[in-house]
Order: sequence, then structure tokens, then C-alpha cells
Amino acid sequence: MLREITIGQYYPSASLIHRLDPRVKLVGTMVYLVSLFLFDTFYGFIAAIAFIGGIVFLSKVPVRYILRGLKPILFLLCFTVLFNFFLTPGDILVKFWIFKITKEGLYRGAFVGLRLILLIFGSSILTFTTTPMQLTDGLESLMKPLKWVKVPVHDIAMMMSIALRFIPILLEETDKIMKAQQARGADFESGGIFTRAKAMIPIFVPLLISAFRRAFDLAMAMEARCYNGGAGRTKLHPLQFHMRDYLAFAYLFVYLALIIVLRRWI
Amino acid sequence: MGIVSAEKLIYEYQRHDENGDPIGAKRAIDEVDLDIEKGQFIAILGHNGSGKSTMAKHINALLVPTEGTVLVCGMDTKNEELLFDIRKSAGMVFQNPDNQIIATVVEDDVAFGPENLGVPREEMIKRVEESLRSVGMYDRRKDSPNKLSGGQKQRIAVAGIMAMKPECIILDEPTAMLDPTGRKEVLDTVQRLNREEGITVILITHYMSEVTKADRVIVMERGRIAMQGTPREIFSRLDELAELGLDAPQATILAHKLREGGIPLPKGILSAEEFVEAYRALPEAYRVTDPYERLPKEVETSVTKLSEDEAPLIEIADVSYTYSPNTAYEKQAVKNVSLQIRKGEFVCLIGHTGSGKSTLIQLLNGLEKPTGGKVLFKGEDINGEQYDRRLLRSRVGLVFQYPEHQLFESTILRDVCFGPKNQKLSEEEQLLRAKEALRLTHVDEELWNDSPMELSGGQKRRVAIAGVLAMRPEVLILDEPTAGLDPKGRDEILAEIKRIHEEAGITVVLVSHSMEDVARYADWVHVMDKGSLLYAGKPSVVFTHVEELERIGLGAPQVTYIMRELFPQASAPKSEFITVSEVYRALSLKGDF
Repeated sequence: MLREITIGQYYPSASLIHRLDPRVKLVGTMVYLVSLFLFDTFYGFIAAIAFIGGIVFLSKVPVRYILRGLKPILFLLCFTVLFNFFLTPGDILVKFWIFKITKEGLYRGAFVGLRLILLIFGSSILTFTTTPMQLTDGLESLMKPLKWVKVPVHDIAMMMSIALRFIPILLEETDKIMKAQQARGADFESGGIFTRAKAMIPIFVPLLISAFRRAFDLAMAMEARCYNGGAGRTKLHPLQFHMRDYLAFAYLFVYLALIIVLRRWI
Repeated sequence: MGIVSAEKLIYEYQRHDENGDPIGAKRAIDEVDLDIEKGQFIAILGHNGSGKSTMAKHINALLVPTEGTVLVCGMDTKNEELLFDIRKSAGMVFQNPDNQIIATVVEDDVAFGPENLGVPREEMIKRVEESLRSVGMYDRRKDSPNKLSGGQKQRIAVAGIMAMKPECIILDEPTAMLDPTGRKEVLDTVQRLNREEGITVILITHYMSEVTKADRVIVMERGRIAMQGTPREIFSRLDELAELGLDAPQATILAHKLREGGIPLPKGILSAEEFVEAYRALPEAYRVTDPYERLPKEVETSVTKLSEDEAPLIEIADVSYTYSPNTAYEKQAVKNVSLQIRKGEFVCLIGHTGSGKSTLIQLLNGLEKPTGGKVLFKGEDINGEQYDRRLLRSRVGLVFQYPEHQLFESTILRDVCFGPKNQKLSEEEQLLRAKEALRLTHVDEELWNDSPMELSGGQKRRVAIAGVLAMRPEVLILDEPTAGLDPKGRDEILAEIKRIHEEAGITVVLVSHSMEDVARYADWVHVMDKGSLLYAGKPSVVFTHVEELERIGLGAPQVTYIMRELFPQASAPKSEFITVSEVYRALSLKGDF
């Protein structure tokens, strides 16, 4: 059901990673994700696993929570791994019927699978330890230079945080409207693609009306609380680098240096 | 001059035709004079469209007068330079709890106002803490608003205003979308802020029980002030209130009726306590000694009588329902519930929010499938493999909460045809049934080809109910059909449902939060608590368990409390007085029941 979808699932805790500045985490995640594609060796993976493992350990997010994030891509994961297992040419290890597993295939399959898992770990540790509000704050701050080219950075950030707040509400609402139309005999499951698309009208029209009503209400509520764009605003949680953030940058730097060294010389 | 004052205030909406050309103005506020003193608790009453919300938006400078002036703390709302000073001094809380929370964390939302005002951070931290404490939500400061109940969300909204250090808070129907527990939470909070922190409160509401503690009540009608005075003064003019489409607390109505019947009770009684006190002070000749003795025997025995009839129309046997089983979000909503609904009954289902009643009704028409147990319609298992559940949904019609939110067609008639169309009926038959349903719900024939979006709230709801009735169901299930309506709309919808029940012989299952409505309409009541069925029986019998019902966040009609307080010697009665007319007859010495 729709309500089971969780977006920006945050795992509340007061760990060191949770307290890091979102800018550090955003930059860190980006560097880490890129780094995963910089190596193709056993040692590289050891370094990446050690790096993310240390962060997961410090974040106190239970590993099974992160593993659950793998579920939606489980099929993709298995498929790519097997694909690589069987279809990479090279020294044949095992052979039965039309399938053959090669040494190279084994390596590539394992590497691709591992890389995917490490990608998920990296991105989910960001959402698990950073509230959507901090994320948007971080993005707003990182995008600040774009103000010079007249990009409305504050407004974009505000829109993003409002979207994050209303996504679960609108999902729930969709669920409710669907049920209400089903109670009037609507059928969303049978018929061809055109019939089915047409069957969605009784859901989309009310949903759109409701979204507009909510937007109107929210705009009024914001006005009533003196919202006037970004100018002159102060913040309850202003972004400030602390000692821990510099340490995190150092950690990140060491990791990046190690990866480059591994790529270059080993 | 007080903190808020209006002089000859006029506000006109510009109306436009389909091409966007102006076709004249509609006057929403018509020469209103107002003067509110600092520290007062003011209640503004009036049915929908009386202009009370428009009035409120003027105090916050969300609207500016067409003519006349509004002064807030001496500042003219027309002066745009003072806009933020005005909004800071007179904060506003709106009706929909979801649509006024901006941030995804409670404390960030409370900080939104001060952030906009550019309050320095140290000061802001202090303010956020203070205001969250003042509404009793400090423990939830790190939570997501989505995890909170409606009442808690409204308290967050109040805290968000308090953090701007206002002189005055305006609340525009803050409790209309809440359950009784939430309503009480919000009201208690607001009253405490008024009393302890001296905040001026302007409360706009439909609920008469909420205004009894106000310093002054203003009743609006057609953009004008129709009545004004203390709650006692207002509620002694019951006939005028009725004319304005408003009601009064049961104690007030009861006292009024008894006084007309010759019993010398004082005027303007506001609460059950006041009634009890006044009744005890009556000369002995006017007092009844033991009305419970005189409750007819058949009321007590009919509990068994009703269940002996023919086979039940709907039967659910040992039904359970678990949301998202085997995940972190697993939640058992219904636990081993067994109940029967017989043909022709008017059944009420009551329970606190989250008691499982909304899930239960979705099990009745096969929208949700039970994770355990069986649901039978006319003896057949509706979750059997061969069973046609789409056909079932036209037999067991379900009207959801706020059903007007599902309207989507360009005309009313076409929208009501949606159900019959899905039944694959011929076009003539669709129209026939749609028209029949619209007549049943008293939707004016002239409107049938108009867009449903332009109707008033109550009218829209009737169209939505007609949309279900057009399938000619045998059972009509309604989830809080009166939610968010004003007293007049409330009474009309309920009377309509009662009439449909009687005239069309449709079995009705009504989910309700109002004990008064249950007492008045139900043949049979099912009480849910934490997913289980706690009681089932005739309302007069179920309401004997007042203490237990209160423990689970419900209660009993006000008159029941009055009778129990007046006649405590009738310990553990087998049935209770539950309606005003019953109690009136019992206390008016006029013989038989």
C-alpha cells in the first residue's frame, strides 16, 4: 500500500554522524559515491568498506535498517550479479549445460554487486542521519554561489522542504480517494492501458483540487506568520562548522587520498 | 479603546463571471463595529457564510477593509508598513491542522515565525522552548508533525504563534476537524494561555460548549453582528439562536423547556453542574425523587429481543486486521471482533480516534481483507474466491469522511452517475438512479447541471452521499458524515440520513464522535476500543457504562450526566436517560414516558 512508502526515512539518534553539519555529509556522500567508481581492485573495496563501515558504526543506525533499503533493488542486484557471473568471457571455472562461470565473471559479479550495496549504504546513511530539513538547509547553503547568477536558492530550498512535508500527506490522501472511488464501484485493475489511464481521472482530479486547496491554505498560514521570502531571516539551527566537521573532512580526505593512491600505484 | 477595534467595517468580494469579468460585489461584512479589550476571551459564533472567518482575517491583516477601519494595538491594518507588526501582535491559527504546519520537525515549525521576524538565535531558542512548554508539547519537539494527533498539531500551531510573542491569538475554527479529545486539548490550552499569560483570545467556532467559558460572545449573521453579550445572556435567548441556525448545550435547552413547562429554573443555565445546582435549589414540590424507577421495563429487556430476529444482513466473525504485517510499521487495527448487523437497523459505531472503527467499516464492503476471521454478507463469505466484491460495494455503500473531496465530474448529475455507470447500467437507468438519489438527499433540482465545486460544504456533502445512494445500496455506511459542518448543516444531514433510513428502508451504519447524535438516532451501538469491541447494545444500556466510556476517550450525552448527578441513589441502573426529551418528561412531572 502507498502508506508503506517512506521517503527520507530518518533514524533519530544523537550520534556523531547525526550531529555533523549537513554540508559535510552532502559533500562526503558525493565524494564517496564518485570514489566507488574510481577503483576496480580488491584493495579499493577494502578501503571503501572500511570507510563506510566506520561511519555506519559511528552513526549507530542498525545495519538491518540499511539492509532493508536494499529490498527494492534486490532483483536488480541479483540480476546484474548473475549476468556478470555467466556472461563474462575468460578462464572457465565451472561449466554446465549452456552456462559457464569464469574467474573474471566471478570477480566482476562480486565487484558490481558490492559496488551497488556500497552505493545504497552511502546514500541511505545520509538520509538516515540527516533530517529533510537539514538536507535542504545544507543544499541551500551549498548552492549559495548560484545566487550570483540569479538562481532563487532560498525559494528552491523552501519548496523542497514543503514538498518533503506534504509527500506523505498526499500519498495518504491518494490512498483515501482511491478507496472512496472503489466504494463507488471504480475499477482500476482491468482493461487495456487506455481504459486504465482513463480510470485514473476520478483520482487525479480530486487529488489536484486538494493539492491546490492545501497550497492555498499553506500560503495563507505562512503569510500570517510573517513569511516574506529569505531576506532578513534568522535560523533556529544555523549551519556552523565545529571541530567534528573538520575532523570529518580530514577523514574524508584521507579516504580520498588512499583511493587515489590505490588507483595510481597499486 | 481596546486591543482590537473595528469601525464601520465593510468588506466586499469581487465576483467574476466565467470570462473573469467583474459582475458585481458580494458584501461579506456589513458595517461591523467591534471593540475587544486586552486580556479578554471572545467567542465569535455564526453558521457557515455568516462572515465570521472573513472578520477574523481582517484582524490579522490577511484581508484589508473595503471601507471602514480596523485597528490592532492602535495600528491601522491598511498601513502596509505595519503589516508584520500587526501579524506579530495578532497571530492566527487556522482550521486544518495539516495545512498550516510548514516544517518537518516540530521545533523548526515553531521557530518559523521568529525566523521570519529575524529574531536572534539565543532569543529564538528561548522562545521556542517557552511556547512549546506553554502548550505542553515540549517533549515532542524533535518529532515529525505527521506522527502527531490532530489536537497535538493544533497545539503546535498555537505554539508557533506564541513564539512570535503576540498580544492576541485568533483561532479560526481550530477544532472543527478534531475529535472530542483533541477539541478539549486545544480548548484547555487556549483557555490557560488566556488566564495565565493574559493573551487576548478570539475564538471562532461552531461548538456551543466551547463558548460557555468566554467573557463575551458575538453572534454573526450575514456579515453583521446579530447578538452580543455574555454567554449567559446569549444562551437565555434560545429562540433567536435557533433562528440563526445555532444550537445550545443540552443543559441549557433542558432548563429552558422545563421553565416553559412551569418549573422555576433560572435563565441562561450553561453547564451540567449549573443545572444540577439549580435543580437542587428548587422547592421540593417541583422536584422528582426517583425517575429511574419509572423508566419502562421494556427498555431494560429489549436488549435480548432485538437479537432474536431473522438472520443478520452482515455478520463478522472473529475478524482481525493488521496493517503492514511483518514490517516495522506493523499495527493491529482490529482484534477478534464479532458483530452482527440486522436488516433495517440504525447502527452507530463509536470509539476514540485510532480505535479501529474506520478500518472495520472498510472490512464490511471488502475494501480491506481481514487478516483473520470472516465477513459474511447475507450468509456468504465476501472474501471467498468466487465472490463478486465490486457488486458487493454497490450493495454495501460506504461514504467516507469528508466525502466531498472525492467529487470530480463537471456537473453534479454526472458525478452522481459515476456509481451506476460502474455498475454498467444503461444510460437512462443511470440518470434515473442519479436523479432519485439527488431527490432523496434534497439537492435542489436547479443545481443538477452545475459544477459540484461551487456548492457550499453541506450541499457538496449531500451530492457525495447521493453518489453512493445512486447505486441503490441495501446498507449505507457513513464515516462521520457531520464532520466539519455547522450545527444547522449537522442537523440537516442527520435528519436526512434518518429519513432515508425510514423511507427507503436502508440499513444504516453511522460512525460518530457525538454521543448526543448516537443517543438520538441509534437503535444499536457498537463501542470500539483499541481494535476490540468493548460494548454492544441499545444506547440507553451502553450509556450506563459512563465511567468506562470516559476512560476510553468517549463519554455520554450531557443529560445523562445530569441525571446521574441528580439521582446517585439509582446505583448501577439497567438503562440510562439519554435524550433531552426523555429527561424533560421525567423531570416535568407529566406522568408517563
